Amino acid sequence: MINGSSLARLLFRHLHFTHTTLFTIVISILIACITAPTAIAITSEEMLSDPVLEQRARDLSKQLRCLVCQNQSIDDSDADLARDLRIEVRSQITKGETDGIILEKLRQKYGDYVLLNPPLDQGTLFLWVAPFGFIGVGIIIVMLARKQRANPRKANLNAADQTLIKKMVANRNHDNENKQT
Amino acid sequence: MSQLRISFLLPLLAFSILALIGAVALYSTLSGSRDPTQLPSVLVDKPAPPTNLSKLVQNNSPVQSSVTLASFRGKPLLVNFFASWCSPCRAEAPALEMLSKRISILGIAYKDRNDDTLQFLKQFGNPFQAIGVDQDGRTGIEWGVYGVPETYLVSADGVVILRHAGPLTRSIIDNTIIPALETLGS
Repeated sequence: MINGSSLARLLFRHLHFTHTTLFTIVISILIACITAPTAIAITSEEMLSDPVLEQRARDLSKQLRCLVCQNQSIDDSDADLARDLRIEVRSQITKGETDGIILEKLRQKYGDYVLLNPPLDQGTLFLWVAPFGFIGVGIIIVMLARKQRANPRKANLNAADQTLIKKMVANRNHDNENKQT
Repeated sequence: MSQLRISFLLPLLAFSILALIGAVALYSTLSGSRDPTQLPSVLVDKPAPPTNLSKLVQNNSPVQSSVTLASFRGKPLLVNFFASWCSPCRAEAPALEMLSKRISILGIAYKDRNDDTLQFLKQFGNPFQAIGVDQDGRTGIEWGVYGVPETYLVSADGVVILRHAGPLTRSIIDNTIIPALETLGS
């Protein structure tokens, strides 16, 4: 098994790669992974001939959930129902409906569930507000931690304790000097 | 000491809450009260979508007639989306046969070939009062169907009373369908 660090060492030794070169390679691979086109479910006979309308259909499809595979949009899904819904979206577009009306019509049939972007209402309020709440809690924790670090607690020591500590420190320094010589 | 306790207890508390939510969800899934495959239907308590389909041609009769939902107004109706290619539909055939003695059933052949539908009826029986053909699945979309079989109970005045996605099992019929039929007086 070659893991990441041993691979890196191998590259350094035999190919005389610098850190910068390696960094560039890794970043390029990552970018390639992110921007690589995903498998396309849509078939050519579904597509509209007008590229502007087709783009609108693609954008709308990305906002609609496939109800069969549930975590894919109808743009991604190969399911039969997803294909039917893509055709439905396109026929509504050619009828001249606006994006908002098309989404609303499907919402009336399949509920909020069909929208990958849930609308803000009473039932989804927590969903929308919770992330800000979590950030708030995080900020409070960080602030508490920083405060603690900025003001280390002062010990309540009386005079006898103070002289004892001084004595101990002096002894320790003395020991260290002896060790060195 | 109190500072340390907060930074220790807060994540612990947060984790406990998350674990509790997960436990409740897992428990209700395992005990059967929560079914993630059942999507909520928006159609319940709303008027059933106007439906007009061409009738399944049987016995080589050349008459091309249509079947409409409106023609069933005046008494409760069960609407069942089925297909010959769907195996749960075969499983629920006896259940539909039994229900057909209490209520009329409108069958909608969803994305199926006519010959296959006819073969299916020959093999598993025909509990339907009438059968409409939804070849392209458009009517299915109108009803919010996301997989066959799906069954809808429609009241005499055309309002959807309940919807069940998936085959009609004994417990679904006893606990859901029959009580709903009784409230409709059927």
